[in-house]
Amino acid sequence: MPSAVRPKTFISGAGLVWRWQRILWWIFIVNLVLAHFAIRGLVDRVSPALAHSSASERLVNGYDLTAVMELAVQPDSPLETPGPVVFHYSVVFAVFMIFSTGGTLATYVFDTKPSTTAFFEACGHHFWRFVRLLGYMALAFIPMGILIAICSAIHHSIDDKSNSPYPAAYFSGASSLLILLLLMVLRLWFDMAQVIAVADDETRMHRALRRAASLLKHNFGSLFWLYLRISLLAWIFCGLGLYLWMYQLSPWSITTAFLLTQLMLIFWIATRLWQRASEALWYRQYQAVMVPEPAYPRSPAPAPVPYSTAMN
Amino acid sequence: MLPSLSTVLLAATLLLFAGGPRTVSEPPSAAPNAQAPEAASSILNSPFSTRVVAYAIDAKLNTTSHSIDATETLVYKNLTGQPQQAFPFHLYMNAFQPQSTLMTEVRMSGARGVGADSGWNEKNHGSITVTKLEVEGAGDLTDKMQFIQPDDHNTNDRTVFQVTLPKPVAPGASVEFHMTFHDQLPEVLYRTGYKRDFYMIGQWFPKVGVWWKNAWNCHQFHADSEFFADFGTFDVNLTVPQTEILGAGGDLISSANNSDGTKSAKFHSEDVHDFSWTASPDYTIVEDTWTGSAGPVKLHVLMSPGHMKSAPRYAQALKGTLAWYDKNIGPYPYDRVTVVDPPHGAFNAGGMEYPTLITAGTTWYMPTGVLAPEDVVNHEFGHQYWYGMVATNEFEDAWLDEGINSYVEAKSMAALYGENASIINFPFATASEAQLLRIEYISMPDTDPITRFSWNFISDNAYGGVTYGKTGTVLLTLEKVVGEDTMLAALHEYFLRYRFKHPTGEDFLKTIEDVSHQDLKWYFDQAVYGTNILDYDIWEAHSDRLKWWEKEISRKKTTDEIYRTYVIVHRKGDFIFPVDVVVKFEDGTTAAEHWDGRDRWVRYTYDRKTKVASAQIDPGNKVRLDRNFFNNSYIVQEDNRATHKLENMWVFASEWISQFLAWVS
Repeated sequence: MPSAVRPKTFISGAGLVWRWQRILWWIFIVNLVLAHFAIRGLVDRVSPALAHSSASERLVNGYDLTAVMELAVQPDSPLETPGPVVFHYSVVFAVFMIFSTGGTLATYVFDTKPSTTAFFEACGHHFWRFVRLLGYMALAFIPMGILIAICSAIHHSIDDKSNSPYPAAYFSGASSLLILLLLMVLRLWFDMAQVIAVADDETRMHRALRRAASLLKHNFGSLFWLYLRISLLAWIFCGLGLYLWMYQLSPWSITTAFLLTQLMLIFWIATRLWQRASEALWYRQYQAVMVPEPAYPRSPAPAPVPYSTAMN
Repeated sequence: MLPSLSTVLLAATLLLFAGGPRTVSEPPSAAPNAQAPEAASSILNSPFSTRVVAYAIDAKLNTTSHSIDATETLVYKNLTGQPQQAFPFHLYMNAFQPQSTLMTEVRMSGARGVGADSGWNEKNHGSITVTKLEVEGAGDLTDKMQFIQPDDHNTNDRTVFQVTLPKPVAPGASVEFHMTFHDQLPEVLYRTGYKRDFYMIGQWFPKVGVWWKNAWNCHQFHADSEFFADFGTFDVNLTVPQTEILGAGGDLISSANNSDGTKSAKFHSEDVHDFSWTASPDYTIVEDTWTGSAGPVKLHVLMSPGHMKSAPRYAQALKGTLAWYDKNIGPYPYDRVTVVDPPHGAFNAGGMEYPTLITAGTTWYMPTGVLAPEDVVNHEFGHQYWYGMVATNEFEDAWLDEGINSYVEAKSMAALYGENASIINFPFATASEAQLLRIEYISMPDTDPITRFSWNFISDNAYGGVTYGKTGTVLLTLEKVVGEDTMLAALHEYFLRYRFKHPTGEDFLKTIEDVSHQDLKWYFDQAVYGTNILDYDIWEAHSDRLKWWEKEISRKKTTDEIYRTYVIVHRKGDFIFPVDVVVKFEDGTTAAEHWDGRDRWVRYTYDRKTKVASAQIDPGNKVRLDRNFFNNSYIVQEDNRATHKLENMWVFASEWISQFLAWVS
């Protein structure tokens, strides 16, 4: 990858997200709405217990953990665990994201304003490819799972044998960081496979993965640094948001807290899209540099067509 | 024993002999304080207790096989008032075997950090074998030892044995037992054992039962029970590798290195009913001093590696707790207290009390907003009073030590660290000890009465919820009846009456009645001996136009409108308790009511030129036994702030779970 194109990718990726920010807002709204539905039942159950009770002051003027526990241990507790419902809605969101990734990447790869129809056509066009890719990802998680189990066993062994708790803690920190980095590499690999699938209309996902692996192998530094930089920004921003929420906001700032938490989420989604856009841009520039100039005179460029047509 | 200059000098001498890389002193303890002021002199006239037993133990620790070989001489003074021929002894260490009663109960419902249905780990095997038993004047009676199972007839349980002497010991006479025994220590389990090179040795020697209520009281070791023993003296000689740093519940009398690489340390303790000790080459000793009404108390904190950040927290909590007890309950008569901080992986040794020695618990990453190190020190030190000195039967009356101690813990932690944040204190979340006790109680409110024998509860959770949570909450609620000051005065009186004795539950309850000058049978019958649930709620609170048949539009002046307000207070549970009710109206006026709670409900009616704004039972939430505070009030004007706050958190959490799933897919 020529170094000349590298700096542009990071900034231009953000530009792409900004330019096509409708995608960001839609993802945010879908996430918010699904989360709202996921916890609706819980809210409906807990509201009658709180809305007319002075005991709810313990949650308004601070956050008394025992108030929540008290609700939870009542025989007719309104706090039934929302876990399964939340998980179901999260799966729906994950499926939505797989679906929308085709349209999102097509927008970033071709950088032209898509019509709604074109966007959803791209979504549908790539959906089953990405579902197949998910299968490959599940396979890729097997060695990761084994690695996690090995690290856990080593951690327990060190913890059991060492008189100081620090060696095990350091190992745990280091292994967690390693696993996180490996997961990021894995994610980046599959991200690039998705970009290839969209940009080159690659139908065979194993080939897309192979090409992505080759790309990653030869351009690991630039690609991973691109991905990591944006991740770091996301973590810093969200960490700052959490700090403000937990330590700086007054207990009564309920609306402000809502706005802050949603701002964190928007930024998080934005940075994820930023990674996607940067990867798409990177691949576009990579293609432009790597494709040799033809030896014979070029024929006139064809008239622009909507990218949905181009992908068929 | 007098606190002596020689003791201090001996401790200083130990600096020269203590092995290992650190220069530390080994903490002697358990000596009555010689510098006590006149005010405390009543308990400082030695001996404090009626000394029934005198133990002399010579023990050698084998750090390779994690075992102890020891000889024990017990002089038992027969103060039972009748001839005694059969003597029962505890062999607690035999509980660490898969078919013991303790492990059977753990397998059934879990206990003390060990989950139900957990597997058996051979590392947790422990045993105590008495290889020889002689009685002065009666010869070798080893063959006369017989395992007995007074509680459950589990013949596989060998935690109690009995020996019958050839002839009875006359009242007032003494009998001398000589035993040789071998302990195989478990990897730390149930407060005792080893972890790597750390040793916490408790309940490790054959201990005679207690003649109590005109019978021998010597229960088997159960999953949910602790201990009971007579007061007396302990002379213990411990031989350990020279690298070991020792801590013990006794005064260090001497210490000398042996030629085989070991050292022998002699400890003496009196007016206590147990002796425990600990050894580790990795301890760092932090020393401090606190001076109370009975004179200075030396604090020894034995810190494990990686936990030093918690040392000042332990020390501060200990000093604060000492001061609180000194002011509110009574003087601490010993001149020393040792806090043992178990190393990581040995949590099961933590949170335990022995006379003048307690075990705490922390982690290398303990946030300052989690007051767990402070809480455990506060609780375990409290047992120096409720178990150590007021030596109740922990098998049968666990509520008298754990429950009273939990109540005092809630009071003292609130005084030391704040009323509403005495256990969790972050800007974004708080929790108080008193409320946590209440949560423990309301999670298991009606399965067992407080007075149930500790191993007979329906489950381990019920034992904890009732013994700690309910008792503490019962006593906190009692403040509403007799007053907070009277409750503390009653505890103070109870301590003065029964220190160095074995009081019963009735003794405790009668003391409260004596001090409060109230007949509290109505309360104790329900709260202590019963399982009824206390739960009041506002059934209804609304206002209606008095002349409801007139059309509202025909009113001349709005201010002339009279409303009839109805408030119905309902007793949901069967526990009858008088309650206060405050009704607030929209114009700011209030009406205060007092209901005896005997009927199932009561209706209050008011005719006023204003509507009801709210109705509240027990406005200060003093009736902590009430199972549900949320139904104790009704505010007419809906306020959804709490709901929105929870909703916001749940939405946020749900969104992030979605984001995570999307990221990995």
